[in-house]
Amino acid sequence: MKKVISLAVASALTCGMAFAKEIKIGAVMPMSGPLAAYGQVCNLGLELANKLQPKLKNGDTVKIVLVDNKGDKVETATATTRLISSDKVVAILGALTSTNTAQTIAIADKKKVPVIASVATNDKLTAKRTFANRVCFTDSFQGEVVANYAKEQGYKTAVVVVDQAQVYSLGLAKAFQKAFKANGGKIVKKIKVTSGDKDFKAVVSQIKNLNPDFMFLPLYHPEASMISRQSKQLGLVKPMFSGDGVANQTFIDLGGESVEGYMFTDFFDSTNPPSKTSADFVAFHEKETGNKEMNSFTALGADTYNVLIDAMNRCEDPTDSICINEQIKMTKDFDGVSGKISINKEGNATRSAVIKEIRNGKAGFKATVNP
Amino acid sequence: MDILTFMQQMVNGFSLGSMYALIAIGYTMVYGVLRLINFAHGDIMMVGAFLGYTFMAVFDLPFSVTVMLSVTISALLGMFMDKIAYKPLREAPKISLLITAIGISFFLENAFTVFLGGVPRAFPVPAYMENIFNVAGVTFSVSSIMVPIVTLVLLLGILYVLYRTKYGMAIRALSFDIKTVNLMGIDANTIIALVFGLGSGLAAVGGIFWAVNYPSVEPMMGVLVGLKAFAAAVVGGIGSVTGAVLGGFIIGFTEVVVIAFWPEMGGYKDAFAFIFLIFVLLFKPTGIMGEDLEKSRF
Repeated sequence: MKKVISLAVASALTCGMAFAKEIKIGAVMPMSGPLAAYGQVCNLGLELANKLQPKLKNGDTVKIVLVDNKGDKVETATATTRLISSDKVVAILGALTSTNTAQTIAIADKKKVPVIASVATNDKLTAKRTFANRVCFTDSFQGEVVANYAKEQGYKTAVVVVDQAQVYSLGLAKAFQKAFKANGGKIVKKIKVTSGDKDFKAVVSQIKNLNPDFMFLPLYHPEASMISRQSKQLGLVKPMFSGDGVANQTFIDLGGESVEGYMFTDFFDSTNPPSKTSADFVAFHEKETGNKEMNSFTALGADTYNVLIDAMNRCEDPTDSICINEQIKMTKDFDGVSGKISINKEGNATRSAVIKEIRNGKAGFKATVNP
Repeated sequence: MDILTFMQQMVNGFSLGSMYALIAIGYTMVYGVLRLINFAHGDIMMVGAFLGYTFMAVFDLPFSVTVMLSVTISALLGMFMDKIAYKPLREAPKISLLITAIGISFFLENAFTVFLGGVPRAFPVPAYMENIFNVAGVTFSVSSIMVPIVTLVLLLGILYVLYRTKYGMAIRALSFDIKTVNLMGIDANTIIALVFGLGSGLAAVGGIFWAVNYPSVEPMMGVLVGLKAFAAAVVGGIGSVTGAVLGGFIIGFTEVVVIAFWPEMGGYKDAFAFIFLIFVLLFKPTGIMGEDLEKSRF
């Protein structure tokens, strides 16, 4: 009798395990350090998406293993290696910024683990890498959007302030310069800064002396907000434009009144959700966090998760990394939180951009630009 | 470059340099007494800025009260740090002290990250600090001229304490020989605590002004500033208070001049500040105002 019971228990356990398998996926995000403001909102997207869709079609549970990379390259590499070798994740989401995502991709590509980047926009990121994918647009598209806007406004000369320590900044500056020159504009000067700098009065004085029509600042929010503030202090009033690197509330908090009229490109606007899926997610976000406004990084974070789950569902074995990667690249017109996403063979996404302008301490929607 | 831009850049350099100077004084005083480079000093500056943030943003206190409270608490923190971390190591080799200092620095940075998060917070700058003056085309904000003035006043204050008071005499005596000073009936530990208190208080002033000029506070804000203030202390001659202020201005001006004359090289301004440090160490290892390292007298 005892034998029968133990046999029954054992078989029940094995069956149970076979039914509710847990699949781990990795997330590398800057939860602390200078980029924490982005990392935390992006991770919120992952968590919410996971809450909405915690299981695969076949009943397997998906567990996200999050590692904080502190916004640092070396920490990113360590985190990626740890996720692959000790946590045995089937795919990795994030790493957020281009510089750090490049680290993650370099390691994951060798181990054949697919990566989906949320907001890493650098053009070269996916080149020559089989397992690299993203749900955001690239810098060449973003740069073109800004350059076309500048042309429409009749701006002839521009100063570009580039952060030489960030791949994102260098890539976006290059893309803008190319498109702006092609539109007949002239780059008066390219000024280099380094992330972590706080004092930009010398830079601002220099720009004031050059007197351009337009300032393009492909920087992250800590530097961009300081430049904006110090420009106001030194009486430099020029239209300022940034990329998605300033698309968060922290930028507005840090910049205060000085960022009124500041413009930037973004992926998504929660006050104009492009679809029902999107509107539903915004409502869920409000229910969970009590906050009506949703950051675009949250939307993209959710989309990395959703695209991955979609791809895994289409694989016979949802832990087969090679199949997952193939399926990610087959994503066509995916109904994402941030809008329609199609991912091509290179792993790059085709999607629209929005232009936002800061008015009365809020980032307001201005226009949608389609590719 | 026209004269106007040049003058503007000089103003920028003056304001930046005086903040390095405020922090460098603390480095130099602790070094003078204990022969210890207190690497946690930059983080005391961060603590001072966070205290300022707390008093202003959370408790809504006026700026002057905030400064006084932050300076007092930071000074006490400096003394406490000396008591728990450095005092037990008075007889230990200098390298143990240095390692402890680095340990405290990491502790402060990480403790603040854990409890307050790593996202930078906007410092509530009083409106009058952001008022702008325009003198013959050169633009100043109130905060950018206030910092050099406060620095110079505090420098005079420190010099007064060092050369005109009993405590100052004790501090100077201590920098020669701790053991003998103890035999003369002076409690060396009290005096060392006083030095830590003074230095940390100044760092808090530096921190608050830093936050007023660049209104964001985050746990890592003291790292680079601390390193540059340290470079300033060495350039000026570590162990000399006047030298520290001079060094602070030199480092501040170096950064500004790099951007003003070679904007393409602007991203390397930190490197230039440290290259300057290397040159000073090569040609005058004791720094500009420094005397023989073994006999520094402030």
